[in-house]
Amino acid sequence: MDLIAAENVVVGFPIISGYVEAVKGVSFGVRQGETLAIVGESGSGKSVTARTLMGMLPDKAVLDPSSKVRFKDQYITSLSEEDLQKVRGNQISMIFQEPMTSLNPLFSIGSQIIEIIQTHQPLDKASAKAEALRLFEEVKIPKARARLDQYPHQLSGGQRQRVMIAMAIANKPDLLIADEPTTALDVTIQAKILLLIEELKAKYGMSVIWITHDLNVVRSISDRVCVMQQGRIVEQGDTTQIFHHPEHPYTKHLLESEPQGTPPPLKDNQPVSLSGKSVRVVFQIRHGSLFRRKSDELVAVDDVDICVRKGESVGVVGESGSGKTTLGLALIRLINSQEGEIWFGDRRIDNVERKNLRDLRTSVQVVFQDPFSSLNPRMIVRQIIAEGLVINNIGRDDNDREERVRAALLDVQMDPEVMDRFPHEFSGGQRQRIAIARAMVMQPKFVLLDEPTSALDLSIQAQIIDLLKSLRDKHGLAYLFISHDLKVIRALCHHVLVMFNGRIIESGPTVHVLENPQDSYTKDLINAALQQPYLKSDPA
Amino acid sequence: MNITSDHGEGLRNSLTYWQLVRIRYRRNRYGMAGTLVIVMVILVGIFAPFFSPYSEIRTDRDRQYYPPQSLHFFDEEGNFQIRPFVYGMAEDMDPDTYEFTFTPDVEQKFEIEFFVEGEKWKFLGMQFTTKLFGVDLVTGEYMYLWGTDNLGRDVFSRTLIGTRITLLMAFVVVFLAALIGVIVGVSSGYFAGTLDLITQRVVEFVVAFPDLPLYLALLALLPRRADPAIVFIMFSGILVLIRWASFSREIRGMVISIRSLDYVRSAEALGASSSRILFRHIVPNTTSQIIVWITFQLPDVILLESFLSFLGVGVQPPMVSWGRMLNQILDFQSFNAAPWMMAPVGMIVLTVMAFNAMGDAIRDAVDPYSD
Repeated sequence: MDLIAAENVVVGFPIISGYVEAVKGVSFGVRQGETLAIVGESGSGKSVTARTLMGMLPDKAVLDPSSKVRFKDQYITSLSEEDLQKVRGNQISMIFQEPMTSLNPLFSIGSQIIEIIQTHQPLDKASAKAEALRLFEEVKIPKARARLDQYPHQLSGGQRQRVMIAMAIANKPDLLIADEPTTALDVTIQAKILLLIEELKAKYGMSVIWITHDLNVVRSISDRVCVMQQGRIVEQGDTTQIFHHPEHPYTKHLLESEPQGTPPPLKDNQPVSLSGKSVRVVFQIRHGSLFRRKSDELVAVDDVDICVRKGESVGVVGESGSGKTTLGLALIRLINSQEGEIWFGDRRIDNVERKNLRDLRTSVQVVFQDPFSSLNPRMIVRQIIAEGLVINNIGRDDNDREERVRAALLDVQMDPEVMDRFPHEFSGGQRQRIAIARAMVMQPKFVLLDEPTSALDLSIQAQIIDLLKSLRDKHGLAYLFISHDLKVIRALCHHVLVMFNGRIIESGPTVHVLENPQDSYTKDLINAALQQPYLKSDPA
Repeated sequence: MNITSDHGEGLRNSLTYWQLVRIRYRRNRYGMAGTLVIVMVILVGIFAPFFSPYSEIRTDRDRQYYPPQSLHFFDEEGNFQIRPFVYGMAEDMDPDTYEFTFTPDVEQKFEIEFFVEGEKWKFLGMQFTTKLFGVDLVTGEYMYLWGTDNLGRDVFSRTLIGTRITLLMAFVVVFLAALIGVIVGVSSGYFAGTLDLITQRVVEFVVAFPDLPLYLALLALLPRRADPAIVFIMFSGILVLIRWASFSREIRGMVISIRSLDYVRSAEALGASSSRILFRHIVPNTTSQIIVWITFQLPDVILLESFLSFLGVGVQPPMVSWGRMLNQILDFQSFNAAPWMMAPVGMIVLTVMAFNAMGDAIRDAVDPYSD
């Protein structure tokens, strides 16, 4: 008998031009002690489905009367708000993606977890506090006693997520719903969180519904999978079955979207495109009052050597705070470095004032991570792409420039007719193509790609990576590809540098580093990103 | 929750940001009502002399403190006539209290005519004498819809004409303050460094300075016998002086946050100069906030002007503004004797509420996160 079952759930939202159905008739069930993964891309409706299970849809949402959610022996869909509150946090718990906004920044984490305990259990303050401490230790938060009085902003992302988990299991729920809880975390932290939840699940006999777009997570921890696309479940079944014998074309498409292949071999003796020697970037952090100013230094990039040749793709991999973005920006002189040399071809560029580097800008371009903030919302696509041409007086006249914009759009496989539209009309993947077109229209020789696919869905990511590959091969470009995703780097880059705390701790040809990592941090990274140590068949 | 898909080429025309804003603005009924009121008030202000039966300085020494004459469509016997009319007033003196009392006198029936000849008025250099409505001045008829003041001036006409000065001052002050605030805020936020350090100290000083004593002190320096136009200009200047500072801080904050966005970085990477980044990327993305600020500052200045003119230090006669008219009822006695002289208060309340309604609607319409 299923612990929880969704029967024909249909949810819609009113919008300016009418009504859109986010979930179009979804039915599934979760048994006791089972982990179900709901996997889908943005817009698939997976989060809305999860909220329906908790009875937590936003006010505007419209739940079709024929939709039912059965939990144990009740129908969640017919409970009153009061009765629902007895279920939430108690029998069904949920953890969310962004722990910073899920925890109230005004209250200490101790008080927040005590609140949850006391809401559902008749304990006095002291007992609740003891229980809170026990929970913190259970989720392996170090120095638990001291942490009770700390505030959310004083903890790291991974620790906050552990607090969320502690709050979720405080009342020993029967069902835990996890809505992409590790998407915002570094991959090594993610591995630990996954392990933690598996342990808790075994200990408390919970069922877990795991919502994610990350196939790696699905593969490692779930018993069964539901694949969602545009509001419907297109396939569901045992995890191993789905991964080895996918039936629905969308599932197949999703599985094939994992970055595959390796870059083609480099030609010999290619000239150096961009290189850096002993590069050091230091940020001054000033604090203290006007008269007793203290200066602390933050060494973001510490003595880094790097070299990218024509036609080569070099990857810089590291977790957040490793300094990889700072390194990239310093190399293309968008920020200043304090020490070291930077060369573009045979020209030294670190000792030149930024305003004298105008001509560099046509040969060195950049594509940023967030497609939603990298395009000026007030400009149309044509203006966005042509801006570089206009600034640098490239092109004989407006018509010539428009032709170039047209060619750039075709190059990134977009219909040139989109030229007159505004960024808000496009999806994340399309915007990233526009950003790439903006860089490519300048006919650069070197492109810095700062996590260009991190904010995109898996299948879109695959398309963008293919696009970058084809552009590189077609134009003989040199890429510096910054990422935290080893799978993408493996597919795209000839060389890889592993960064940690501003230093390069390992570097070499990608294949060598991935097969024979020397440093323990590299080993951890590879384990977390490419292998699944916690699959049931493997010893932990 | 995102309803995106990767085949998003719609068939309809792409809407600009402002077109989207307009659609959302129109959905707010309260805001639209406010807009309508403001539009009417502005029209009244522009064409005030046409709408007002009398000029603002015309005195009627025989008829001081007359109560409002109401419009009638039915005469004594209950007959209906399309043409409205007013009754003249019969004066009486109470022998015990020596108070004057006024009662409508049905013997004096003044019919209202439209497009009558009235006093001369100027508009854009051209002279006119036609008034929208009025009574026959030649035969000594009079129509004081909102009564008269202590000098026998028509309150209704003065209120309408006062609209001009009040609104003019509001728009001039707010636009100038916005201009200065944007220039200072943008330079301070974008160029940072020492410029920012010094500018922000100046701004803090201006903001911290007590407003009212400063106004009064500066206004005391104005020569009272000066041309009222000069007084008006200087008065506006003083109001601008205090107003630009806190706005510049808001703008500075916005500039600082926009500056770190990727599309500004991209423009730098393309080789854009500072001025291009400022005018093409940063300032256009602050305009929605600027408009919201302007819409909320206008009622603020109207209230301030009313207050200062009421105290007597603002607009000087023969110029008339709503606040100036309230200066005549400084004491409770006059208020008691002629409560209709409070009419400008009604206009102030109406206009301020309308601007606030508009401001709320605009703010919701430009906010990308509201629904």
